[in-house]
Amino acid sequence: MNTRHKYTKVLYTNKAEGNLPQLVIAENENLQSKFVVQKVLELREQGIPLEEIAVLFRSSFLSFDLEIELAKANISFRKYGGFKFIETAHVKDMIAYLRVLENPRDVVAWNRILLLIDGVGPRSAEKIIEDILHRRADTSISDFWKDFNRYPHSVTELFELLKSISTDKFPPAEKASRIITYYHPMMKKKFDDHTKRKKDLEMFEQIAERYKDVSAFLTDLALEPPNESIADVEAPGSDDEHLTLSTIHSAKGLEWHSVFLIYALDGRFPSLHSVNDMDELEEERRLMYVACTRAKENLFITYPINIYDRESGTILTKPSRFLEGLDDKLLEPWVIDEE
Amino acid sequence: MKKYTIKKPVDALHVVHPQRFQIDYKNELNKAQYDAVASVNGPHLVIAGAGTGKTRTIVYRVAYLVELGVKPEHILLLTFTRKASQEMLRRASILLDYRCEKVSGGTFHSFANLVLRKYCNLIGYERNFTILDQGDAEDVMNLIRTRLKLDTRDRRFPRKETLYDLYSRSVNTVTSLSDLLNVDYPHYLEDLQDIQKVHSLYEEYKKSHHLMDYDDLLLNLIKLLQQHEPVRAELSSRYKYIMVDEYQDTNKLQSEMVNLLTYKHKNIMVVGDDSQAIYAFRGATIRNILEFPDQFKDCNIIKLEENYRSTQSILNVANEILKRALD
Repeated sequence: MNTRHKYTKVLYTNKAEGNLPQLVIAENENLQSKFVVQKVLELREQGIPLEEIAVLFRSSFLSFDLEIELAKANISFRKYGGFKFIETAHVKDMIAYLRVLENPRDVVAWNRILLLIDGVGPRSAEKIIEDILHRRADTSISDFWKDFNRYPHSVTELFELLKSISTDKFPPAEKASRIITYYHPMMKKKFDDHTKRKKDLEMFEQIAERYKDVSAFLTDLALEPPNESIADVEAPGSDDEHLTLSTIHSAKGLEWHSVFLIYALDGRFPSLHSVNDMDELEEERRLMYVACTRAKENLFITYPINIYDRESGTILTKPSRFLEGLDDKLLEPWVIDEE
Repeated sequence: MKKYTIKKPVDALHVVHPQRFQIDYKNELNKAQYDAVASVNGPHLVIAGAGTGKTRTIVYRVAYLVELGVKPEHILLLTFTRKASQEMLRRASILLDYRCEKVSGGTFHSFANLVLRKYCNLIGYERNFTILDQGDAEDVMNLIRTRLKLDTRDRRFPRKETLYDLYSRSVNTVTSLSDLLNVDYPHYLEDLQDIQKVHSLYEEYKKSHHLMDYDDLLLNLIKLLQQHEPVRAELSSRYKYIMVDEYQDTNKLQSEMVNLLTYKHKNIMVVGDDSQAIYAFRGATIRNILEFPDQFKDCNIIKLEENYRSTQSILNVANEILKRALD
């Protein structure tokens, strides 16, 4: 018996030919986000409501940078098929470390990171925080991190870390990287799916690379109030307009006037590990098909280049293999130019 | 001597002649959709490309069968969400009349529940068995984990959510625990035996308390149908026409259910799109839809290819992506 792999089909329509779908190359991830933001605003100007526009991606973490840019541009969105970046527990933890570095009297952040330490409960956390607040009320930030020695080793370890990275010598990405190294064992204990979450933190570090100082980074992250989306999703018939961000899986069966597919980058879509398994690779291809067939009028496929992949130690620069070599007359290549 | 054979009556069908139908099916549907809708007896596979009016086709076929004279309660429509079947039957009722509301519709799980409530004593359950939802099932996992003292501080052992996820996926995909661990939680491979122990105690716990989790609903229905021919015969004659939506997303247990339920008549129409099979990680297997013609000989394959959603430019790209898929 021959193994069947597919039923051949060719879709056709009586609708007009329409605009050519675009394959947009972006020099880096942030430019990709900026492209989407600007195009969304343009489409809206043309009278396409945000409800009729969606941004799709292979994995939830691929939209993190875009989420920050959308918040900056005041474009409200709902995300499906994954948590919003800053709502995830591990990203909240990362932000808490940075907040303490920035403002050592941030009680809420202290509480969060102290409770992460094995053996520190709410009561001992409170004591340490009191201590921090009282004893150090008169010190300048540079002196703040000196002489923390009378706590258990696990707590001292945290202080040592914070002290070592408190200097402005380190850019935000380096600080994030050291915090991740420190935090990783805790994350392993806290979450069974820590391998997936590690990817999120790599993304966090990658985004941090764009910032010169921690405070600007934190401001951008805080621009979007974390709780907003939950209330949003619950409110029925709420008439505020919003853009849809969705994983391809969660977009199945739906359609929009204009669809953006971001991170159509080989190594991210398909992901590097799926390329070794024929069945998985074929499933990735079908995902690409599902993504493209969500669009009614406009389809923008974007991919950033120069993305460093930690696992393989390579730099990803090619468009998804499912699109590579497609005729220019089918999929129009575009580059982004900055003013 | 010459022989003249009287044909076996086909279940009092065609009482109403198609020319006297209330709905003008030929006009309201495109050619392929009409072919699907007007396919009645035997196995049919409808490959519905993206945006080709799949839901519309199912709705019209329900109406068509009812107009033909099939009793609504002899039709079974299985979908992936309750909402989907309700919506389709509601639309069919508006299209034709109230009769379509009497069609049996639901998810694989709700259907299994319905049948098991009636016959579960045959396989050793009491009729008032309780269904564990995901949260309940996780709580039971936790209980067992604690009883076995696997939740100590100095040892990292999977959480209740992970324990249940592993259990459910190994049942649904008929995959061994060690294979699942290897792929998703390699750091727990050394705990294999303890996890297995939790799982087998979980099964005992369910059995002794008359509990079924979601997977049990399917497993037990299959068991019931396999072991009790009279029940299988009764159900197969009651549900004379079975339709399944999103067939590309079914798992091994669900296709087995379909096989058992249709064994008498083979009047089965499955609808789906192999190109949109993207749920392997949840246990779905694309083999079900690809091998349907092998499972059901003389199956009639109908392809819906006219798209009502996208511009041709967009479809050209989509087609090109598919063209490169493995043949």
